[in-house]
Amino acid sequence: MNLVYPLAHLLGAVMLLCAFALLSQRRLVAMIALYQMEALTLTAAAFWQGFAQHEADLYLTGVITLIIKAVLAPIALRRIVRHFNLIRAVETAMPIGVSMILGVGLVGVAVLVVLPITVNAVTLTREDLAISLSVVLLGLLVMTTRRSALSQVIGFLSTENGLVLAAIGMPGMPFVAELSVALLVLVALLVVGVFVFRIREHFDTLDLRGIEEIERRGR
Amino acid sequence: MSAAILAVFLPLLAAPVLGLVGAPMLGAWANFWLAAVVFAVTLTVFVSPGSGLIHADTLGVIFGMLTAFIALTTAAANIAFVRGEQGQGSVRRWRVYHAMCAVMLGTTLMGLYADNIGLLWVAVEGATISATLGVSLPRTPTALEAAWKYFVLGGVGIALALFGTMLTYLAAQPALGPGLNAMSFAALSANAAHLDGALMTLAFVFLLFGYGTKAALVPLHGWLPDAYAEGPAPLTTTLSGPMLNVALIAILRFRHLMQANFSAGGAAMNPGPFLLTLGLASLLLTAFSLARRRDSRRFFGFSSIEHSGLTMFAFGVGGATAIFAGLLHMILHTLVKSALFQALIRGAALRGSAAPGNYGFSHLRGMMATNKFVGWGLGACVFALVGLPPSGLFTSEFLIVSQTIQRIPVLSLPLGFGLLLCAIAIIRNIGPLMFDPAPAGTKPVPAGRGMALVFLHLGIVLVVAFAMPPMLVVALSGISAGLQ
Repeated sequence: MNLVYPLAHLLGAVMLLCAFALLSQRRLVAMIALYQMEALTLTAAAFWQGFAQHEADLYLTGVITLIIKAVLAPIALRRIVRHFNLIRAVETAMPIGVSMILGVGLVGVAVLVVLPITVNAVTLTREDLAISLSVVLLGLLVMTTRRSALSQVIGFLSTENGLVLAAIGMPGMPFVAELSVALLVLVALLVVGVFVFRIREHFDTLDLRGIEEIERRGR
Repeated sequence: MSAAILAVFLPLLAAPVLGLVGAPMLGAWANFWLAAVVFAVTLTVFVSPGSGLIHADTLGVIFGMLTAFIALTTAAANIAFVRGEQGQGSVRRWRVYHAMCAVMLGTTLMGLYADNIGLLWVAVEGATISATLGVSLPRTPTALEAAWKYFVLGGVGIALALFGTMLTYLAAQPALGPGLNAMSFAALSANAAHLDGALMTLAFVFLLFGYGTKAALVPLHGWLPDAYAEGPAPLTTTLSGPMLNVALIAILRFRHLMQANFSAGGAAMNPGPFLLTLGLASLLLTAFSLARRRDSRRFFGFSSIEHSGLTMFAFGVGGATAIFAGLLHMILHTLVKSALFQALIRGAALRGSAAPGNYGFSHLRGMMATNKFVGWGLGACVFALVGLPPSGLFTSEFLIVSQTIQRIPVLSLPLGFGLLLCAIAIIRNIGPLMFDPAPAGTKPVPAGRGMALVFLHLGIVLVVAFAMPPMLVVALSGISAGLQ
């Protein structure tokens, strides 16, 4: 029996599940754990695609993903959480029910948009694309429904996992490893940014305090 | 090695070196000479445009020269800026600042010269990162706030653009098969009719919103006014004009793929309405928000959104003439806007400090009392931005309006309305900026030599608009006929 499709879809589905769990999870520590699980699944997916497509490039992507996204990024995020004493921080966000319904709606949109127009494309790509678009949209939803900088960053990291999932599913696409490295630079800077910029001061009022200051000085 | 590769990698390789130069003034001079060398190299790119990944077409060559020219004049004006600011601590890390100037120049040129949609994406990403780091440099809460906003919005835009890039690759599979060729603009353009139209439409939506974030088109424009107002002036204002161009040109190229597929009877949708909607929304939103701005850098940031939207609108109208007008508008606007910001920085410096927060209209009013050259330069630049004759922008805006009347008459009314409102909002500020009584304690101060550059920019705008060199006419018409 050919295992290529079922296993690729299984890994994609696990990632989708993680993205959904991120949407409902309010505790930062648990969000980081979910992100880590998503990144580990992505690593497995990259290796599996590399094996299925016989592309050494994808193994490289997998190794990079494993080291930086599944190991280093969670360590850095956990350190930020400890440093700013956010271990027990619970976020106020949109009610879980509403955000889940929105999430299901987005996945529905992704599937309805992608599947009909990719009838001619390779099947492996087709479902993978729908799943990765769902992960991307769910990550963006996390970014828009959360207020604190750190959970927005985690939302972005999840979006970025979705992008890499799409990239590794493209048949024979060049530069996958290079593109994922370029994305990682962005991710790394985002994580460092939270730390260095000390957004702690406006952690809860990320979009308010600075803007009040700007208001005061006259826009 | 081709000149194009040299122009791209010279600043990128120089950036770490600039990052090590400790003395601010030394860094400013090094940055100036770097910009001068890069400008000289971009002039020769049309002789050796390179091949493969970095292959400059005529469009890239023209805008590359423009970018390097603006980088050069900015670097020249930057010397005076650094001299005035180094003691005041408005920028904490001059080394990072100069390194980011170089990275911005290199990535902008890479975006213009790249013949590969992946490389284009990497260039835009690099430019975003360098710009965000630049905005954060004053280290004030507002600057960090602006940088964070830019980073998050820009990051989302970049993510969307990458998804669009991958979908474009997938859409090219039926025509070009796997491999590098399916990511080359030249190959995509030659085979546009055979792309998978439906997939290309989906890709285009992602690309439009992705690169549209970088071009500051309206639902995605939020980062631009704050970034313009809060960052160190030369890096975030004058240099970011060319960066908007990269995003606009990227959208223009992808629009061409869509249009060609649509015209050939493919399944792609007509890209016109998308661009027209975003362009018009940008224009109208600016028209209504300009009047309420009291900080001049934020004000002119909004005006950049207006012109970005206007360019997008011109591309949306379609046809060779409208695209010609859009490209001309980009060239002229970039020149005028960078001159304007140089004059503003000079004016603010003469009033004490060029750090963010010193650019309120109330703080800068009555510039004639401080210095006549700066006053006239500022007035001329603001007037040039309005688009009334004899300003150069009149030519391009006239072309855009007349093309709209010819092709989509319904839209000429909202277009004219938006243009008129923007013009009124901008023109209202000329009088107070120049002739109002200056704030108490203002003394006349010599302007320094930098103002000559402002008038040089304005002179070039006049020549390009009203006495365009035949070579440029031929080149631009060729490009717009090819991309219509």
